[in-house]
Amino acid sequence: MGESIFSLKDVSYSFSQNIIALKGLSFDIEKGQRIAIIGANGTGKSTLLTMLDALIFPTSGTMTMAGKTITERAMRDPGFQREFRRKVGFVFQNPDVQLFCPTVKEDIVFGPLQFGIAHDEINKRLESIVEKMRISHLLQRSPHQLSIGEKKKAAIASTLIMEPEILLLDEPTAGLDPQTNRDIIDVLDKAHKAGKTVVMATHDLHIVEEIADIVHVFGDDKTIIRSGSAEEILSDNPFLQTNNLVHVHVHRHLNIKHVHPHSHPHPH
Amino acid sequence: MVSGFIERTILGTVSVLKDTVSVERYALQRGFLQERDPRYKSCASISLLIAMVLCNNAAVLLSLYAIIVLLVPFSNIRIGFFLKRTLLFVPIFSFVIVVPAIFDAVSPGTVVASWHVFGLKLSVTRQGIDAAGIFCMRVLDCVSMSVLLVLTTRQHVLLKVLRIFKVPQLFVMTIGMSYRYIFLFLDIIQKMFIGIKSRVGFVSSSTEGRRIATAHMAGLWLRSYRLHTAVYDAMISRGYNGEAYVLDEFRSTIADKIMLILSFIILIGAVWANRFFH
Repeated sequence: MGESIFSLKDVSYSFSQNIIALKGLSFDIEKGQRIAIIGANGTGKSTLLTMLDALIFPTSGTMTMAGKTITERAMRDPGFQREFRRKVGFVFQNPDVQLFCPTVKEDIVFGPLQFGIAHDEINKRLESIVEKMRISHLLQRSPHQLSIGEKKKAAIASTLIMEPEILLLDEPTAGLDPQTNRDIIDVLDKAHKAGKTVVMATHDLHIVEEIADIVHVFGDDKTIIRSGSAEEILSDNPFLQTNNLVHVHVHRHLNIKHVHPHSHPHPH
Repeated sequence: MVSGFIERTILGTVSVLKDTVSVERYALQRGFLQERDPRYKSCASISLLIAMVLCNNAAVLLSLYAIIVLLVPFSNIRIGFFLKRTLLFVPIFSFVIVVPAIFDAVSPGTVVASWHVFGLKLSVTRQGIDAAGIFCMRVLDCVSMSVLLVLTTRQHVLLKVLRIFKVPQLFVMTIGMSYRYIFLFLDIIQKMFIGIKSRVGFVSSSTEGRRIATAHMAGLWLRSYRLHTAVYDAMISRGYNGEAYVLDEFRSTIADKIMLILSFIILIGAVWANRFFH
């Protein structure tokens, strides 16, 4: 068993008394793991990632990071907060949220500047990350002038430049063209090979096997209804259909009606 | 149409702001003023603006205008584009404002021409024409200087220059963020209008139009509220804790310092010449 980074014990979260977003979650995230969180819309994937980034806190149960319980009070300690933010990087689902500076360059270096990293070091990291993400031509552009794929890449770069140990990503490949999709998967693969722990919420099942060792499936009742290896979960078609994660194709050949699970050799 | 007036206003605003972005291409070009440190460039511009405000001699004001126009080609800006942007409307609008000053009721003096309108005698005076001419010339100088500064400097960089006037970092950053999100919201508004038009089409009454517009304003406010919360979370997530540190890339060279000194010399020279020729 590896070194546990995050540990959740019976964690629940409610937006108000009536709206439950997460219910009774218990699992561990170990150093170097690649975890995919899958589930239909509104099952709590984004809420879980937001909680893992300590932007919201459990309404019941406990969440620990490296043995320390994460609470609002604990995050008020500037030393701990700084340590936490340096270790955990979060790529938001909507890149417009993450790109708030007038230029892409300023957005990318925003994180390291807050941590007081030396300018030479920031420039070195910037050079390396823009080369990796192939976005050097975007640095002086304003975020509103970018395409959705370019925004996603810039948002990921703005998190990777902080060199976090744990990378949380909320649907990083949603709505992207195949090439941008591929670029992002490659970058995440490299990050994992460099020893980073990667936790990703996604709907793109065709990338899950490539980017995750462990898969947690969220159900409509806001609980984890199943956990296992990517291979084990993705091969269980009836389970995926029941939970709204794949759809069936229905078509006709003359008078014969074909119904079969959605699958093809190429990505969507 | 939901409301012709509202739609025209919003689409007009969108177009103006998009135009603002398109002129940024001049700021990104290589040129004399583009290569200057924005802090020095702003100070030099302010120095010239002070000279323009202090002087009331036509020859001095014309000389200052000549300096600005001379800088235009050196900054890789098409002279025709610059003159169209400054000459076409500025003197017309300032002349409209200054029209009363040419008459003897405001500027008494040597009468050049007189008319009788509804039994009232209207006289244009030499002093009135001179004052109006100086005013228009001064406006043209100031506007040309400001336009040249804006054309050769990216807007967000100009905002950062506020830091040299000791404006707090957080304030400058907030203005920068507002500048960035204005475009996002304009895009949302534009799409909302297309959405409304595609579903509602023509609205027969203006009351109905106002009702739809108001409902969407409320919707937009809610979106902006959600966005601001999410942006704040994104900032916290990357280490922001109430005190923002942003990229400060200003680098000055000897050319910047020479330019600033020259602008001071021009200021002193212009004020001296103004007194000398008075």
